[in-house]
Amino acid sequence: MTMATVLTVQGLIKNYGSFRAVDGISFSVPRGQAIGLLGPNGAGKTTTIQVLLGITKVNGGTIHYFGQNFQHHRQACLQRINFSSSFNTLQGRITVWENLLVYAQLYRVQHSKQKIMELVDYFQINNLLHERLWDVSAGQKTRVNLIKALLNDPELILLDEPTASLDPDIADKLLSLIEQLKRDRQLSLLYTSHDMAEVTRICDEVIFLDHGKIVAQDTPLGLTKRITHSQLQLSFDGDQTKLQQVLKPYQVRYTFPTSFSIRINLPEQLIPKVIFNLSQAGVWITDIEITKPTLEDVFLQIARGQHDIT
Amino acid sequence: MISLERIKALVQQEWYISKRSLEVIMDLPFFAVIDVMLFGYVAQYLVGSAETEAAYYLLLGAVFWESIRITQYSMTVSSLWNVWSRNLSNMFITPLSLTEYISAHMISGVLKSTVITSGLIVLTAVVFDFNVLVIGWWNVLFCFINLVMFSWSVGLVLLGLIFRYGVRVQALGWAVIFIFQPLSAAFFPVAVLPPVLQTFAKLLPPTYVFEAARGNLLDPSINWSLMLTAVVINAVYLTAAVIIFKRLFVASTDTGQFARNES
Repeated sequence: MTMATVLTVQGLIKNYGSFRAVDGISFSVPRGQAIGLLGPNGAGKTTTIQVLLGITKVNGGTIHYFGQNFQHHRQACLQRINFSSSFNTLQGRITVWENLLVYAQLYRVQHSKQKIMELVDYFQINNLLHERLWDVSAGQKTRVNLIKALLNDPELILLDEPTASLDPDIADKLLSLIEQLKRDRQLSLLYTSHDMAEVTRICDEVIFLDHGKIVAQDTPLGLTKRITHSQLQLSFDGDQTKLQQVLKPYQVRYTFPTSFSIRINLPEQLIPKVIFNLSQAGVWITDIEITKPTLEDVFLQIARGQHDIT
Repeated sequence: MISLERIKALVQQEWYISKRSLEVIMDLPFFAVIDVMLFGYVAQYLVGSAETEAAYYLLLGAVFWESIRITQYSMTVSSLWNVWSRNLSNMFITPLSLTEYISAHMISGVLKSTVITSGLIVLTAVVFDFNVLVIGWWNVLFCFINLVMFSWSVGLVLLGLIFRYGVRVQALGWAVIFIFQPLSAAFFPVAVLPPVLQTFAKLLPPTYVFEAARGNLLDPSINWSLMLTAVVINAVYLTAAVIIFKRLFVASTDTGQFARNES
């Protein structure tokens, strides 16, 4: 374990009775990196996060934050990390200011009022300070949660679907803020989300969980490259049989969504050749659209049990 | 290491919640006043019908009973405010320890109980011309300490049950304590209870406290025998309650119920 690693997880196991929710997973989070934890519902993401935060007891394996065993140095570890989720809010009955003051004291923040005001300025929620938390909007609550998550100057933040329930504009602003924080503070992130575009944008590396196990781990680009097939959609003027004749030797799958368009699923390297051969055969191509695989395609393949990409 | 700052933070949060929640204001000072007023007027009627002794028992019992109810309510229901707000797990992912958490809620319960019980003592003196302090300052203090200790024990076990089994058992938080009202003979001499219930009553520290307080109406000297019996049983209860609470808490984190409480 090097000093540049903020979190190291080894052989983590969590059982709920006879059901194994997390099945011996191992991974690490390097300093300043964002690691995405993805997977279908029931894959074990939430349980993993809960175990990493110490609110659910682990059955096997070890967790080290900053080289310290979490089980033996719980308080010291929790002092240096934080968490924010769209599913957990702060105390709704009291004001934003009161909430932040309570958490600043729980983290024993020096000059707590000054620290809160710095973050409040950064997130531009000065006008909300004396509002009760349950009176502010979902987007504003997310910002308050993030301020809470930054009060102790954490070196690692666990973010559980931070943009869920936010409109696209607010979600985009939030993601920009997260990118900025990551850049400015060398912040490490463990990030879960169902929005694959968001994960591609934020994460340096992605871990796919399924049935409690890691089934794939790579950069977002690396994972998408594991899907070798792209989708080629052509609009054409002419006879469908000509296209069928040209495509026959390639043994590729295709459909005709309309009489004058075709959607072909084929290996990426074949695309230029296929287009060239179609032109040579006299097919008049009026439009070309190539759709490369995305992280969402990887997610769907894993969720549907097509683990050949892993 | 225990941090006074973290304990203070939770007590402060309790203060913020209490002052901003109509529910807390209704459940604690409002119902306490209504209860004492009710028993006060019954007592006033009894004084008029030559049942003076019973009248004072009622008033004394009503005031002391509130110190039990308020402390236990504070211990248990305060955590529910955070469960309902989905804030409890946020608090437990800070360096907050279980000891700090329990200590803060014990302190918070005592503070609320002290303020409200003091108010009730003034109320009975002003409205019903009955001064609780006639039993002696020290007796009031010892009674209060013993009753608070008992409330802590009950509150801790109920809190543990809520953590362990979730909000489906949350009603226990404000209902269970009333079982102890007749069983501990809060308003009448313990001899009134049938023999079987007297046996149960003798297992409860408040029984000794209420019995001693009633005796102090005639003789304000401290009844060490009854007070020490209450202290000893309370010490056993509190130790057992801490152990039970810890076990329930660990079971709650083991089954994942602790995190699921907010989902």
